Amino acid sequence: MSAVIAATNLSKWYGNVLGLNDVTLELEEGITGLLGPNGAGKSTFMKLITGQLKPNIGTVTIRGRKVWNDPEIFRGIGFCTEQDVFYEDVTGWEFLKGLLRFYGYTPAEIAERAARALDIVGLTEDKDRLIRGYSRGMRQRIKFAQAVAHDPEILILDEPLSGLDPLGKRKLIRLIRDFKSQGRTVLVSSHVLPEIEALTSRIVLIHQGKILAQGDIPFIRELIEKHPHQISVRSSDPRALAARFVGDTSIQKMTFDPDGRTVVVETHQRDGFFGRLTGVVLEAGIEVDEISSPDDNLQSVFEYLVEK
Amino acid sequence: MTAAKAARQVFGFFGFLGRRTGKTRVFAALGLIPVALAILVRVFLHGRAGLMADVSTEILMVFFLQFYIVILALFYGTSVAAEEVENRTLSYLITRPIPKTSIVLGKFAAYAALMFAMVGLSLGLSYFIINAARLGDPEVYGTFLRYLGVLGLGILAYTAFFTFLGTVLKRAIIVGLVFGFGWENVIQYFPGSTQRFSVVHYLKSLLPYTPGSTPTGRGVALLLFRLEPTSPVVAVLVLAAITGVLLALACVVFRTKEYLPEE
Amino acid sequence: MATVREKGYSHWDGRLEERRFPWWPITRTGILLAFRKKRFKFLFAGAFFPAIVALVGLYVSERLEDFKAFIQGSDRLLNIGPQYFAGYFLNDWLLFMILLVLAYGAGGLIADDLKHNSLQLYFSRPLSKKDYLVGKMSVVAFFVLIFTAVPGLILIIFKLIFAGSFKFFLQYPWLPLSVLGYSALLTAFFGFYILLMSALSKNSRYVFVLTFGTYIFSTVLYGILNGIFRTPYMALFSIPANIQQAKAFIFGLKLPHGFPAVWSFAVLTGICALSAFVLGRKTRSVEVIK
Repeated sequence: MSAVIAATNLSKWYGNVLGLNDVTLELEEGITGLLGPNGAGKSTFMKLITGQLKPNIGTVTIRGRKVWNDPEIFRGIGFCTEQDVFYEDVTGWEFLKGLLRFYGYTPAEIAERAARALDIVGLTEDKDRLIRGYSRGMRQRIKFAQAVAHDPEILILDEPLSGLDPLGKRKLIRLIRDFKSQGRTVLVSSHVLPEIEALTSRIVLIHQGKILAQGDIPFIRELIEKHPHQISVRSSDPRALAARFVGDTSIQKMTFDPDGRTVVVETHQRDGFFGRLTGVVLEAGIEVDEISSPDDNLQSVFEYLVEK
Repeated sequence: MTAAKAARQVFGFFGFLGRRTGKTRVFAALGLIPVALAILVRVFLHGRAGLMADVSTEILMVFFLQFYIVILALFYGTSVAAEEVENRTLSYLITRPIPKTSIVLGKFAAYAALMFAMVGLSLGLSYFIINAARLGDPEVYGTFLRYLGVLGLGILAYTAFFTFLGTVLKRAIIVGLVFGFGWENVIQYFPGSTQRFSVVHYLKSLLPYTPGSTPTGRGVALLLFRLEPTSPVVAVLVLAAITGVLLALACVVFRTKEYLPEE
Repeated sequence: MATVREKGYSHWDGRLEERRFPWWPITRTGILLAFRKKRFKFLFAGAFFPAIVALVGLYVSERLEDFKAFIQGSDRLLNIGPQYFAGYFLNDWLLFMILLVLAYGAGGLIADDLKHNSLQLYFSRPLSKKDYLVGKMSVVAFFVLIFTAVPGLILIIFKLIFAGSFKFFLQYPWLPLSVLGYSALLTAFFGFYILLMSALSKNSRYVFVLTFGTYIFSTVLYGILNGIFRTPYMALFSIPANIQQAKAFIFGLKLPHGFPAVWSFAVLTGICALSAFVLGRKTRSVEVIK
């Protein structure tokens, strides 16, 4: 499969601050999740591939065409910005129609596309309200609508799910998946793993302007698997509980918290441990107050990858 | 889509947006002040309509030429680029299949049309109220059109200058203010060729009277004080050149520069 | 179980206890933010230029023999009196620079809060509207006083030092009070004026244009009306003319315009009252969307 979006030795500075550090990446058709904490360089990368910023070093191309100062390329691209900004003195309907003018459509086509985009995001009833009066979720949806109204081949979505309630997120995730099933290319950025997980199995991990890892979610998880999981169990008798697992070869390490009520277990086989824990607790009659995984988060993944 | 068609679409969009904003209403309301003054002149000074009409029109031109079009051009001209950067809406424009130059030209044209409408309406109402006693005289209409032309050229030239400033500088409004109300006010009173380094000099050279040509024989001290006029043809050409060159420069800068929003 | 609030920010309903200077953090932050702007320091320094020139003039007036060759025929330097100090305050450059510093450094005081919906953040703390406005106004007061009262009093002190006696002070004992009184007038007026402009829009660039536009327009309007009606009362339409009239009254000088100074004070007070009314309406913790 040929690359849709290709970055070669891409670097970007903001004064003395390095925003993107020698990134070489190829993105194919389908949905790709760009995952990284705040300040990792996700928005910088997205701004470079949408021609809002000019690379200091390297190139970025879409279907082989350089992006900077090539407006025709945007006929097939839809971009949803991270920022909550609009032309506030217009209604949702006027906003969409105004931006659709720039594609050379006839007035009838503009009206039809705007109506369809509003219908897709569920804002048809609120189309005549000023955007200034929209809720956070509605503003996010109208932003998505302006990105898809002209039926682009490629969608670049910068944190599209931020500010949405769980129902809104689910609807938008479904929409994005529909786009993929129509053969389009979607690049979605987020700093929340479960959101990306719900959209795609293909992830690019970015941190401090560098690509740390690229691949399927199982591959990323595997990176975590190489590093033992930590599981914290707070119970009435942590030492009795720990004694039951001393002979378990999958356990790497057990430590006790100063409060005397918690045991932290490190294991490569987390799921297996949980399975055995239930049986042990029932058998020994130990009262368990809380079970948590202190390192089962993106930060831990990145810490591991950065240390690597 | 060709650049010209794209510019037309941008013109339409921002003409619509410009009419909508509260700021346009405020500036349009400012244009009602000379109308109110014109009514005052008619009501209180109607006995001396003929002479007063000449003097009042020329006094009102001080308002239009040295304040109203400058303040309008300063705000709308710097808004062409700065507004999109400040409001962070630039991404909505540059991720569309329209050349960046079309954005500058389209917005410039939209705002210039808006300003021309505001100025034209204000000037028209105030001028014809003051000259109501002479509506049968065709010269009145010719003079009005000339005033309108001068202000129109002024709008174009000033807006082009401030548009260029807005594409180059972050704080274009301060530099624009110093130019529009500092430099333009001071330099025009310098003798010799120095006054030719101002836009207002060429605008004044196009006014439909010269020093000493009014019935009082003294001219209008306010506007023509120390004016050493340039010929009308040269003045029009210079103003057109200022507009063209600065707009072209603004397009070049906007096309090549990347705009980072302030955090 | 504790009540789950729907919104993150709601008006603080507690009892406002007696606290000293609750507005001080607002003032301090406002001043610091102004100095963070790139060209502000340059403007700030530039506004001291008239004070430095006046100080040099004071020195020269006491060392006339040394500077005779430069100041031949110039009786302004020979005659240091209330008009010299009033002349410092009426300097066009000084008023222009004060306005520029305030428009650039303080124009966003309320505009930025409206833009970023920060009013909710302020009023969800034990802060009254009065404290908020006093805090904002104190930022303006800081800048105006530092260009007016401070240099004005320093000039008087240096005059005494250069003269080497208290004769000047004994001759004009009310002069420091005039300096303070006029500085207070400028502080109050510009405080209300700048906050009024800042409250009228969320766009600080528009506030900048509005601030200067209104100030300059008032003078243009005066010129036009004076040209038509030929009466000194038209000066009441001009903000700088009213300030001039008030200044002349405070320094005991001849009034520049032919009408009683009380009218100018009334106009300036009227603008302050209008500002107070607008500020009261605009600084609400809840935005009403129609």
